[in-house]
Amino acid sequence: MTIAELVTRAAGASSDPLVGLSADECLKCNVCTTVCPVARVTDLFPGPKYVGPQAQRFRLGTILAPGSGELSVVRSPDQSVDYCSGCGFCTTACPADVKIAEMNSRARAASRSSHRPRLRDWLLGQTDLTGRLGVLTAPLANRAFGNGLFRMLVDRVIRIDRRAPLPPFSRRTFRSRLGRHRRSAWSADAPSPERAVVYFHGCAANYYEPHVGQAAIDVLERNGFAVIVPPQVCCGLPLISNGLYRQARGRARTNLAVLAGYARAGYRIVGTSTSCTHTIKAEYREMLDIDDADARAVAEATWDICEFLLDLHEQGRLDTHFGTLDRTLPYHAPCQLRSHGIGLPALDLFELVPGLRAVDMDHDCCGIAGTYGLKSEKYEIAMAVGEPLFERVRQSGASQAACDSETCRWQIEKATGTSLRHPVEILAEAYAAGDREAIRADPPDAAAVSRSTRR
Amino acid sequence: MARADVAVVGAGLAGLTAAIQLAEAGARVQVMATGHAATHWAPGGIDAGALPGSRTSLDAVERLARLEGHPYAFLADGLPDALAWLRSALGAEGLDLVGELTDPLRAIPTAIGSTRLAAILPDGMAAALPAWTAGETLVVCGPAGFRDFWPDAIAAGLRRPSTWRGHPRPARVEALTVELPGLAGRHNLSSLDLARFFDDPDWRATALEAIARALEGRPQEPGRIALPAVLGLHDHPAALAAARERLPLAPFEVALVPPSVPGLRLFAALRATLRRLGGRLQVGEAVHGVIGADGRVAELRAPAAAREFVLTAGAIVLATGGIAGGGIVAERAGSLVESVLGLPVDGPERGDWLLVDPFDPAGHPLEAAGIRTDVRLRPVAPGALERPLAENVRIAGSLLAGQRFLRQRCGDGVAIASGRLAALELRGSGSAPRSAAVVGAGREARS
Repeated sequence: MTIAELVTRAAGASSDPLVGLSADECLKCNVCTTVCPVARVTDLFPGPKYVGPQAQRFRLGTILAPGSGELSVVRSPDQSVDYCSGCGFCTTACPADVKIAEMNSRARAASRSSHRPRLRDWLLGQTDLTGRLGVLTAPLANRAFGNGLFRMLVDRVIRIDRRAPLPPFSRRTFRSRLGRHRRSAWSADAPSPERAVVYFHGCAANYYEPHVGQAAIDVLERNGFAVIVPPQVCCGLPLISNGLYRQARGRARTNLAVLAGYARAGYRIVGTSTSCTHTIKAEYREMLDIDDADARAVAEATWDICEFLLDLHEQGRLDTHFGTLDRTLPYHAPCQLRSHGIGLPALDLFELVPGLRAVDMDHDCCGIAGTYGLKSEKYEIAMAVGEPLFERVRQSGASQAACDSETCRWQIEKATGTSLRHPVEILAEAYAAGDREAIRADPPDAAAVSRSTRR
Repeated sequence: MARADVAVVGAGLAGLTAAIQLAEAGARVQVMATGHAATHWAPGGIDAGALPGSRTSLDAVERLARLEGHPYAFLADGLPDALAWLRSALGAEGLDLVGELTDPLRAIPTAIGSTRLAAILPDGMAAALPAWTAGETLVVCGPAGFRDFWPDAIAAGLRRPSTWRGHPRPARVEALTVELPGLAGRHNLSSLDLARFFDDPDWRATALEAIARALEGRPQEPGRIALPAVLGLHDHPAALAAARERLPLAPFEVALVPPSVPGLRLFAALRATLRRLGGRLQVGEAVHGVIGADGRVAELRAPAAAREFVLTAGAIVLATGGIAGGGIVAERAGSLVESVLGLPVDGPERGDWLLVDPFDPAGHPLEAAGIRTDVRLRPVAPGALERPLAENVRIAGSLLAGQRFLRQRCGDGVAIASGRLAALELRGSGSAPRSAAVVGAGREARS
């Protein structure tokens, strides 16, 4: 076999040429290590450079098995990549455009592919299953998960930390509250893409925070959009985070099959969970290697809700009749939002609300990183990562703070006792305040009343 | 779509200088950067210029300004003001710079046991600057188990008289390796880890105690102690003050391999200043733009996660770095490409990229490759210096053609002088009006 043939075969043996080979661009400058929230607090994680581009040469390494002439993959004995929380800051900070976080996620999946997933990791990936069961048995389930002894047992048996934030299940799913017309699959008689959007609620709004979904519908309808809520499953991110790529691809395919029709017809897909929307935009392609026409169409049609509303505003189409919310509002920008590369649209929207003083907490990560901080062996790392943020939120004295990602909200709420809101809930509240002000200013005006009750 | 009066591409010293000075003048500024580099790699001092035989930085700057095509030809006059501004901006964040352009250049110890010429250093490194007097001892001291600073090897290099290039040198050089508390059994120990330990008042008290005790029993003679540049990341002033108070010898920090803790402190100070002024910083994607038929660049685009992120701006500062920083990319086919606008690069032909002598004292021709500009920093084609290619674009920092920052040690001086000039040029650049004013602090979108 010639060297040229060897190189070609080795490149072919790697399932992820784009991400994997970007390791070649690494200068070993360690800029990634300076922004890593996990390496900041624990010695168990040597930092993105070491487990990423540096270890990648072993992962990409293929050897000729003696005698057979067959190539086989070398496995690195170092498993510290498991301590990567997947926040993605390394990739954004890299001056050489190395896909470090993506490399690490794939490495974790590969290292787990050889054996059965542990029950805990499998379970954390099944958000639809646990969500559905939880809602069905909500009073009982919530009592159990609020019970210290039960949590201790869960901690001992499956290693979900007894102190980690697990939000209560809603008694009804968000979907069950919707009218039948909204829940239908794609149909030709839906309002035109100019006057309607598709809402991707994700698991959080469906099973835990239906009020976030309701706020999204209120704000979108307020701006003249009919909201279509087609059938959907978990975006797959919890599966990706736990190395269960095969299952994640199944979720992605299910969602793409439904969403692609809308995307092709010109509908925009708006989501309140910034991690779901980022998964659909980027990770189906970068992590799961789903790079077909459907995936591209859906990715390009997908918007974080604040990104969507700010875009409306830039076009002069956002209803800005916000009432006064006289308060200081600490704001945390989640890691996943920053990977969108869209700036911090929530802060721009908050500037439109009279009296509202939103303050960027300017901290890297709250620590939870999806399901990372729930795990017993990582709980303390996660809390240490988030502590400066918690301290800033506590110091602000505010009773309420805002954040675009559900798991971050639960983490910060649990750690600080502050009530956490999705930005769209704040906007819905500001619209309601605006309506009250309009009625007070001009009580008998039927037009104002009808506007306030239009929803 | 986002809007800014001025978009600055690049978050190194040049870009941040331009961005902050524009924000000070009331402009709505947004900095876009592919990642972090210059500040995180640089040793943290301000290299304005150092040539063999030049006594001060100013001597070197004046000599460089007379070289044909060197950016100091039109930037040297503004350098003192730029330095004064930087000194005051960093001072406001608790980082003091010591030394003047007119001070003598000194040989400063490095982490590989060589020396480099410097005159303007952060306070933490400044005790290396005064001329060594007869009888003075240098103790090179590092923590056991730290792989980026080897006291014995460094001291061996510094004992050779030739290392000091004819500059005053210590009478004796000693090496000292100290076991610091709580480090035994660690898997990893980086400069960042140590700097974060030094931020902790309790830990640093015991660490300094351990170093002080290791110094006990030495003859009572004048001297200084060289430490790796890890004396605090977020609370450097306090860590430095504690070291000065507890150690019997005057301490100074020695810059390490990247990531540079003094560089991170510099970046943090400038970033905080920019944010306080309402400026924004978005890190993570390479931007690109197009010069329109009207000779202006109206917007920049970044790939983002699914759709392009579009930033509309009235004016643009390109401070993306040279061949080392990614502002200029060498393509396999043999061309040098400016990475944002595709501006024509003044640089060597493909045939001249490989040197016969890799250590040619004249340096590598690619080092000097860059964008030619007029005296107002507007980009021009190498052969047509009078005709700007883009009216609302300014070039700053290492992207400017004609400098050799490795040989001439002029990179920081060129960065701040050009950043300042770019800001002066673009004050008053407005974009389309925005409906809402900036409220509160600025923000950073990624990282």
